[in-house]
Amino acid sequence: MADDQLDATFAALADPTRRAIVARLAEGDATVNELAEPFALSLPAISKHLKVLERCGLITRTRHAQFRPCHLERTALDAAVGWIEESRRVWTERFDKLDQHLTQVRTEQDDS
Amino acid sequence: MNTELNITRTFDAPRELVFRCLVEPAHLTHFWGPIGVSTPQGEITVDARPGGAFRTVMVNDADGSRYPTSATYTEVTEPERLVWTEDGSGMTVTATFTDLGDGRTEVHIRQTDVPEPMMAPEAQAGFRTSLDRFADHLARLVATGR
Repeated sequence: MADDQLDATFAALADPTRRAIVARLAEGDATVNELAEPFALSLPAISKHLKVLERCGLITRTRHAQFRPCHLERTALDAAVGWIEESRRVWTERFDKLDQHLTQVRTEQDDS
Repeated sequence: MNTELNITRTFDAPRELVFRCLVEPAHLTHFWGPIGVSTPQGEITVDARPGGAFRTVMVNDADGSRYPTSATYTEVTEPERLVWTEDGSGMTVTATFTDLGDGRTEVHIRQTDVPEPMMAPEAQAGFRTSLDRFADHLARLVATGR
């Protein structure tokens, strides 16, 4: 996933209502009406949130069906979650290598 | 909610040496790239002072893909602390070096300004968080109104 799209995904998920929408869609597709139900929000307000989620690729909406159900794009969410795991993996492997490097440097110091 | 990513490791080496490893290209080239990735010394720029650049190019050993990174130092306190901010994402990394007094050094890496939902304890645990666990966590956040 491109950095720009990751930034947009993070920005989208920074909002609690949009996180709630994503959590709901993780259980299955839902229409705008179904999504609006648990929130004290108007349909236009929900639609605005959906547009943000759609723009960063986290959700898609069926074009032809009458109620245009929203669908969570799991690959996009995986990519965002993976970014943090990736950071941790990178640091862990980096530290493993640094550990070896330090052993090497200190062995050379002892030899000289 | 925890809004940071924290990683700590203890090294059997004096603090001055461990600190130098993080700011000298001749050292960085040995470990900066994770497994399967090299960081050629000639492609590492370190200007270790506030406002100075920290740039690297990591090269995939398998196919030669290049991953350039670019950051700016915001604090350099030798040999205790290094802080840099990635130019693209705005993510800030703070490296703290603690002299354990027995020749060992503890390095603590703290990543901040990482967007909150990505920092859920579930998202950090186990390094291989499944989407379903993340979704569960989101659902709990919603349920508790956070």
